[in-house]
Amino acid sequence: MKYTALVLKNLVRSKRRTILTVLSIAVSLFIFSALVSVPTVANQILGNTASGTRIATHNKAGLAYSIPIAYKQRIVTIPHVEVVVPESWFGGVYHEVSDQFPNLAVDPEQVDLMWPDWGISREQFAQFKKIRTACLVGGETMKRFHLHLGQQIQLRGTLYPFNVTLNIVGMVGGKAPPNFLIFRRDYLEEAAGRPGMVDLIWVKVDKPENVPQVIAAIDEGFANSSAETSSESEAVFIGSFMDQYRTFFTMAELLGLIVVLMIATVAANTAAMSIRERRGEIAVMRSIGFPARTILSILLAESLLIGLAGGILGCVSAYIVLKGLSLGNVAGPFSTIRMPPAILAETLVVAALIGLISAIVPARSAARRNIVDALRTVA
Amino acid sequence: MDQKYAIDLEHVTRIYKRDEFEVRALDDVTVQIPAGRFVAIMGPSGSGKTTMLNLIAGIDHATSGRVAVGGEQIGGMKERELAGWRARHIGLVFQFYNLIPVLTAFENVELPLLLTSLGKAERREHVETALRIVGLADRIDHYPRQLSGGQEQRVAIARAIVTDPTLIVADEPTGDLDAKSAEEILGLLVDLNRQFQKTIVMVTHDPRAERYVDTVYRLDKGVLAGVEPGKRGVTAEAAANA
Repeated sequence: MKYTALVLKNLVRSKRRTILTVLSIAVSLFIFSALVSVPTVANQILGNTASGTRIATHNKAGLAYSIPIAYKQRIVTIPHVEVVVPESWFGGVYHEVSDQFPNLAVDPEQVDLMWPDWGISREQFAQFKKIRTACLVGGETMKRFHLHLGQQIQLRGTLYPFNVTLNIVGMVGGKAPPNFLIFRRDYLEEAAGRPGMVDLIWVKVDKPENVPQVIAAIDEGFANSSAETSSESEAVFIGSFMDQYRTFFTMAELLGLIVVLMIATVAANTAAMSIRERRGEIAVMRSIGFPARTILSILLAESLLIGLAGGILGCVSAYIVLKGLSLGNVAGPFSTIRMPPAILAETLVVAALIGLISAIVPARSAARRNIVDALRTVA
Repeated sequence: MDQKYAIDLEHVTRIYKRDEFEVRALDDVTVQIPAGRFVAIMGPSGSGKTTMLNLIAGIDHATSGRVAVGGEQIGGMKERELAGWRARHIGLVFQFYNLIPVLTAFENVELPLLLTSLGKAERREHVETALRIVGLADRIDHYPRQLSGGQEQRVAIARAIVTDPTLIVADEPTGDLDAKSAEEILGLLVDLNRQFQKTIVMVTHDPRAERYVDTVYRLDKGVLAGVEPGKRGVTAEAAANA
């Protein structure tokens, strides 16, 4: 504490240099924290939404191909299967093409059993089962389009050549994707002329340890049929969507790291310059009795403060920007991006390390330099 | 070593290595300076004056020989011990003042006290006393750039005396000052020597300094060439006629 004033006064010795160094660290850590947040948030979504007992069964040829609804009856009979909910992607838009959000049709009977973590109230679920045109909507979509309970809305079909008119009877919350809209598949089926096909069948088993066994039973049961199935646990299913972004995520993390290394080099150069200019003063301080260790601590404290100031500025900026992106893209790719607290902490640690590592070599060198030689430089 | 001497150098040699060359800056110098004296080390450039001062101040090590200051052998001390010893016993004054430009006069003088266990209020008291002694009580919040050369050197002297050291070493304290300021600084050093019984060792080229000191040690090419009494009390006119 005795040296706080000395450290702070040294920081404002060259205000422009200090501000520029703080800003350069802030910009690099802004980029770092923003880039690293993306894969972390994606992994968090995966971890948060995936259940250990849900299985997704779809056409082995891919999600673009459907499977017969008749599979439901056979899957129900497989041991350990408790709930089966077929699902079809409607892919409608609200008003404009840009008004996209995930909307899909499901069999209503067991929605609450399949997704008990979606926070659907008993009353709203009863309405959903009762009204053929009922739909349940996620909070973000409600907010985005200023919707309210009881409102009638129309979704324009993009994959189907017709529109659906829906009545909002409730909301999905909890671990449900906040931009989802679900409506009844029997309504879609009727409008589509009863094709008898679905995109996906969700299966819930009694215990997580029975998931592999049920997956094998489903896929073996439909082997050699006209629509062979591929079943996977919910985590793997959602993860497969994420996989297409894996390269991007890796690149993002790598870029973040490169930016940090680059700025650490620049900061090291700045620290070296700043300390070199003060070699004479450092020699004077040592000559009046300051131990090398104290001088090293003072110099490192200065650099640490610069690093942390940059880190805090970068983190706050990244947090605000990501929050802004999230709010501005309720249904877009940035809708769920925000800075996790772990990334905030990690970025601040990186900032502190940039500060310390950038100064350690010149500071040690200056603190241990021969006093007589150093004094000669000021004489 | 006899403790009656503030400084006791015995057969001290200091050899520097400059690339492949060896420079014998001090060669077998033996000097005893009694406590409470104000002495000058004089001699031409390269005669080893600053080297001798650095050895006395404990910021350099002798290649051979023994260096005792205040009865303590400082040759064998490790760097950390030596730093602590300097903080307790030595007050250093440099030719170019060497004040920290971002600190006020108060903060510059307070610097050595940060190494002590004194509290803030005690430090303030010490600093104000030191600045009053050097006549700069009214410049307490001034930065070095706001002071004249003579005033900067006074702040440097205040910094040197604030810990109440037993020995003040000054390396060309008047070397960067005009004649009037130089006389004032020498007068201040005399006051410190007389009023507070500080032993002062000063390296100087300044012939006026002879009139202020008790003894002059003359070095030439690293060898002690002579020891003469100073002309303390002798007026400038009388000294010139002598």
